[in-house]
Amino acid sequence: MEMVASDEQMVERALSGDPEAFGEIVRRWERRIFALAFGMLGREEDARDATQETFMAAFRNLRGFRGEAKVSSWLHRIAVNQCITRQRRAKVRSETALEDEAERNAAVFALPAEISPARTAEGRERSVAVRRAVCALPPDLRQVVVMKEFEELTFQEISDALELPLSTVKSRLYTALRQLQMRLQKFGEQVG
Amino acid sequence: MRTMNERPVCHRSEDLVTYLYNEASATDAQDFAGHVETCEACRAEFAVFSQVHESILLWRNEALGSAFSPAPQTAPVLVEATPDSRQFVRHERKLPALAALREFFSVSPLWLRGATAFAALLLCVLAVLAVSRMSRKQNQVTINQAQKSDYTKQQFDVAVATEVKRQLHQLNSKDAPAPTTANRQKLNETNRRPQIAANGTQPRARGLTRAEREQLAADLRLTPGRDEEELPFVFPDEPNQ
Repeated sequence: MEMVASDEQMVERALSGDPEAFGEIVRRWERRIFALAFGMLGREEDARDATQETFMAAFRNLRGFRGEAKVSSWLHRIAVNQCITRQRRAKVRSETALEDEAERNAAVFALPAEISPARTAEGRERSVAVRRAVCALPPDLRQVVVMKEFEELTFQEISDALELPLSTVKSRLYTALRQLQMRLQKFGEQVG
Repeated sequence: MRTMNERPVCHRSEDLVTYLYNEASATDAQDFAGHVETCEACRAEFAVFSQVHESILLWRNEALGSAFSPAPQTAPVLVEATPDSRQFVRHERKLPALAALREFFSVSPLWLRGATAFAALLLCVLAVLAVSRMSRKQNQVTINQAQKSDYTKQQFDVAVATEVKRQLHQLNSKDAPAPTTANRQKLNETNRRPQIAANGTQPRARGLTRAEREQLAADLRLTPGRDEEELPFVFPDEPNQ
């Protein structure tokens, strides 16, 4: 049975001129990086661009990759930096644009017929509220939430990727959940 | 969602999130489940955090569900069985070429889309130019072929016959004064000379006529001429005479 090469081995191959190696890294990580970017940015279009930019930056800095860290941690750091940079640039973007995007996305997703229009509208509003709440979290908390909820990483994997103690990851997630709960509670009061 | 701003905080917050995300070992899970029964704070937080977790999942599934799975490569068909949840189905996608192209465009950044569109446009222009050029060449070839085919064998024969007739007529008109032998010789010579000059090569040797032979001998002084016979052999003013 053929052994699957690790990410670190693929980076070595890419550095030694194997043109397929970096493509394999992209294939392995693009979905998770996209999920991370989507969770961080809240917009599909931005998430795609950030994912592309992440892999381009990774390719450009391939020689700067130190074998001490995992490839996943390295990619995560690049992706998070890309997202933060993007958010700074896009601060001028109005909330209206975000709402339009939410409307457009919501229209695309097919919903079962038994869900009433009222409930659909409420769910849509709730999704917008969740997204706003997540996007309003401080970057270090948002990052953990996104890695947990969107990438479905284990606490240990997040700890390895971010090079943080396991307990720090858990406490960050706990804090993030509390802040999200308070923001969503405000939304519930507005809706209710 | 219940109000919990003033709720007490339990020191087992880390155990709470571990339990919430099903990452506790069997022993730890059992231990924490026992704790939740007795701890009001943990029970309240567990309920509220579960709702937050579900809300985030709902948002994620709505936003990414049709195209995304975090464990992607071999995702089987998955239907969430809970009646309350949106029926969110992930298929292993087999896209037709057009859909794949559409997805490529939707995933690519703006500059890549622009570059691809420009390249496609350039390709189309080049293809049109190549086709127009080839058709023009083909037209020329067919015209040439048509011109060539105008000359049938019959027409060629007619043209040759006409030309021969014309040449004969010219020749006859030149031969009309019925030249003498000497004149004919002259005529032949004059006719031959331009021919030699034109060809740059000597005409094929033929036998000399008698008159020509005599003329040649006279020129080479092989036969004494009348004038020469009359000349004295000794010059009168020679001293020994």
